[in-house]
Amino acid sequence: MDVLRALAATIAKMFATDLWLTATALAAVALCAIGMRAHIVPPAILPFLLAAGIVAALAVGVIRGARRQGGKSGSSSPVDRRTF
Amino acid sequence: MFNLVQAAPILAAAFIASSVEVVEAFTIVLAVSVVRGPRPAALGAAAALAVLAAVVAAFGPLLATVPVHGLQLTVGVLLLVFGLGWLRKAVLRAGGVLALHDEDEAFAKETQALRRESLTQSKAADWLGGIVAFKAVLLEGTEVVFIVLAMGARPGLLAPAALGAAGACVLVTAIGLALRKPLSKIPENSMKFLVGGLLTGFGVFWCCEGLGAPWPGGDWAILGLVSFYLAAGLALSGVLRHMSHERA
Repeated sequence: MDVLRALAATIAKMFATDLWLTATALAAVALCAIGMRAHIVPPAILPFLLAAGIVAALAVGVIRGARRQGGKSGSSSPVDRRTF
Repeated sequence: MFNLVQAAPILAAAFIASSVEVVEAFTIVLAVSVVRGPRPAALGAAAALAVLAAVVAAFGPLLATVPVHGLQLTVGVLLLVFGLGWLRKAVLRAGGVLALHDEDEAFAKETQALRRESLTQSKAADWLGGIVAFKAVLLEGTEVVFIVLAMGARPGLLAPAALGAAGACVLVTAIGLALRKPLSKIPENSMKFLVGGLLTGFGVFWCCEGLGAPWPGGDWAILGLVSFYLAAGLALSGVLRHMSHERA
């Protein structure tokens, strides 16, 4: 039972670590689909529009995450900085 | 048909993503092995691997029967959401906002917890150790199974995705067994960053294909998209580091 509960939590976390980011990505896809069906967005432009929308969602998601963490713990330790 | 332009990044994404997850699962299995011996650790891990392989074997061919356009959109959206989550977390870690995952610390914590449990439940300790190993491999492997199934959803692509995941599993386990210690030197965050970019790029590409608005350049656009999201991630982590320097 405990394993099943943990499995369900893992699956939920896979797609909704940050609910705002998930909702924004879904909204970007939905808006592109609606725009194309309504002949507002030409199919030749839609891929670029979606790519730009997703990168904007990522940027806002990262900044929101940084602000939230900044409020919690201040800044990073030296260990945090050895990344790339 | 086997498409090398799609198969190569799929194999790479499955291999790198699996490596990250296998490293994390190996740490816990090793802790079980150190505290309770190799038998319960190996049995628990093998049982979980069998379950994960069965899921791929059952659902993989089933996905091939679903109409391509609907499947591309669904899988594209799922990959996009999942990939963005990994990319965001990797950017926050690269920017010094979140702490990096420390395998040595995870190993010490797990070993301590298992020793405590063994003292209170000495009779069932082996069974408990097996369950811990089973759970670790099953939970870490769930993400790998999703990546394999989602990226292998197009005809002919399940084999490279599964091969990449299986290759990572064998390689990381072999290195871990040879070293007999947690694999803390592996640059997990850089790998997570790369996989996040790959999955996001594939997600956007398949969403557009599913919506009936194909990318100019066909499958080659995937490479451009992946590079675009990796560059965006790098730029964002640079901004975060700059912000934390200014604050300090």
